[in-house]
Amino acid sequence: MHDPLTIAGREFRSRLITGTGKYDSFETMRDAAAASGCEMVTVAVRRVDFDAVEAGEDITSYLPNDVLLLPNTSGAETAEDAIRVARLARAGGLPDWIKLEVIPDERYLLPDPVETLRAAAALVEDGFTVLPYVMPDPMLQKKLEEVGCATVMPLAAPIGSGRGLKLVDAIRIMIEQAEVPLVVDAGLGAPSHAAAAMELGADAVLVNTAIACAEDPVAMARAFARAVEAGRDAFHAGLMPEEHEASPSSPLAGVVTRVP
Amino acid sequence: MTVTVNGKPREVVGRTVADLLAELGLEGQFALVERNGEPVERDAYTRFELREGDSLVVARPVAGG
Repeated sequence: MHDPLTIAGREFRSRLITGTGKYDSFETMRDAAAASGCEMVTVAVRRVDFDAVEAGEDITSYLPNDVLLLPNTSGAETAEDAIRVARLARAGGLPDWIKLEVIPDERYLLPDPVETLRAAAALVEDGFTVLPYVMPDPMLQKKLEEVGCATVMPLAAPIGSGRGLKLVDAIRIMIEQAEVPLVVDAGLGAPSHAAAAMELGADAVLVNTAIACAEDPVAMARAFARAVEAGRDAFHAGLMPEEHEASPSSPLAGVVTRVP
Repeated sequence: MTVTVNGKPREVVGRTVADLLAELGLEGQFALVERNGEPVERDAYTRFELREGDSLVVARPVAGG
């Protein structure tokens, strides 16, 4: 079935977006990205440390050209920080797509909704394709859509926590009213979590830690790819309604041991 | 001339952003540059001339989520 994910007019066959952080090596990251089938990966932007013993390799040389690089604004604590990073990234030759994250809270890494909305409006105005990372908040979603964001990306649980769809009720509302693709980003710890998000009707998921920190990241990347596909298929197929009581799958009539 | 790169003073022999990147060992690598708070366009690296006392940020894409 032809069922592409379309973000800002660009089609993606894969509904799994992956992060490049926390891998033991760029080689493993590259192999996991390939195994995941993803067509978009996030990267961060950081100052070069010229005092480091080794300058470090260029991550972009490990990523195939047909995979869209999605720079993030990690480290930004205000709208101004995020705008500065986005403009630096674009000027330097990264795509004008930006994963907008404004996070002043170090303990739970929860995004600041007010600064995120402010930055989103300014970046859209400046020509960026903006993919904001947010708390699941249906009202904030509407505001972000109004200012022209290309997706809205609510977290399932705190970044790197692997706890799964903890905020599922709010995410369900967001899926129901979404005007632009809804990407569940952060907190998914297992392929089953990703499948559950897709079954609900999320348009895509973004996964990093659960793949990078698995014992075998390449195998886990493959598992996530299948889970996302299975979840999407299940969404299209339509889940059965839940019932409180049992309902037999075999006929009640003609039971062998039961005298009629 | 002396410029500041990522907060530290640095002597530069060349004149352009591209010269600076080469001197920093970043030739051929993906480098992002901001001068005095304004981003420099990649296409302009070879002709963008530095000035004494410029404050530069040199960044790059790195692994991240």
